[in-house]
Amino acid sequence: MQSTVARNTLFTIVVACSLLWPVTASPQTPPDLAGNWIRGGGSVVFSPWEFTTDGERRFKTYDFMKDDPGYGCIASSWTRAWMNPNVLVRITQTADHVRLQHEFMDIDRLVPLVDPGIANPRRSAPIKGMPSLGRSAAWYDGDTLVIETVDIAAGWLATMEQWAGLPQSRRMHTMERLRRSGSALTIEVTHFDPSYYRKPFVTTIPYQRTNWELMHYGCAPEEAAVVAPRRNR
Amino acid sequence: MRIRLLSFAAVALVLASGAAAGHHSVPVNFDQSREVTVAGTLTEIKWVNPHSHWRIDVKEPDGAVREYLVEFGAKNTMVRAGFPMDRFMVGDRVEVTGNPGRRDRAVLLREVLHNGERLNPEMRPRASRD
Repeated sequence: MQSTVARNTLFTIVVACSLLWPVTASPQTPPDLAGNWIRGGGSVVFSPWEFTTDGERRFKTYDFMKDDPGYGCIASSWTRAWMNPNVLVRITQTADHVRLQHEFMDIDRLVPLVDPGIANPRRSAPIKGMPSLGRSAAWYDGDTLVIETVDIAAGWLATMEQWAGLPQSRRMHTMERLRRSGSALTIEVTHFDPSYYRKPFVTTIPYQRTNWELMHYGCAPEEAAVVAPRRNR
Repeated sequence: MRIRLLSFAAVALVLASGAAAGHHSVPVNFDQSREVTVAGTLTEIKWVNPHSHWRIDVKEPDGAVREYLVEFGAKNTMVRAGFPMDRFMVGDRVEVTGNPGRRDRAVLLREVLHNGERLNPEMRPRASRD
């Protein structure tokens, strides 16, 4: 009798503890994205976009001869930085941040890892001289690194190829999703800008694992702005 | 007037990667439906990022010497492609083939003839070192 009571009491205690004790899930193992990656392995793809009236008006004002921030050695957006041909990015992961060293324009991006449930997380410092790159925070979603960027200055989302002149307003914010599959790294950038676009659209940019090392980019505005021969020669 | 342009493997490299000039809009800047060839003397060589360029003096049929801007790939791209940049010096004669610019006298390089050697236009930027 007494042993039965004792056994039942112990059982009750164990059940109560299991209900009251916080369930702690094992830490999620972040995807291994570390290393050097080079732009390649496929083409850049933009999903269809739909301008607002203001967006279309702004798009038509783009003058390729003078509006490209690249003439001043400035990356116009993270999409632009990622899609530049044949550039490297080195990714380094630690417990509290992800560092992305872009060969393009020698951009060094240190992004804190945050809880995605927090409304106003800490964010990366602005990239010097490049207000169109905003401030970012990152987290892992399964096998994907997610980078959210806000405080993006108005300007041009894209300045290359058939996408040159796609505008971005002060309301633009982006979500980059980096996912690795073997030696391939896919970057998907979702753009949200209700001022200029009626719905979000996605740019997909493929990268490949590489054993090249980052090279200094060393852009100089006086050279980057050369687009025509000199007159009177 | 027939304009002969010098084109570079670097341009082929850039084309292979989907965009000819690092930060330019190629279709907007250059007429990709046409190709021209220009021969002239190198007066400036700039191996730089985001896009390298040459200036060449071209003697035109009317006797005037006019400057052309020859544009091609980023320096880093060309290094990784193994393009022999050190072969070219100011004063060299070159023949350039490529797409003409929509404004002024500019050329997007596809192939170059230099010292009797035509560079291999099939060079590709390599994803990794050998």
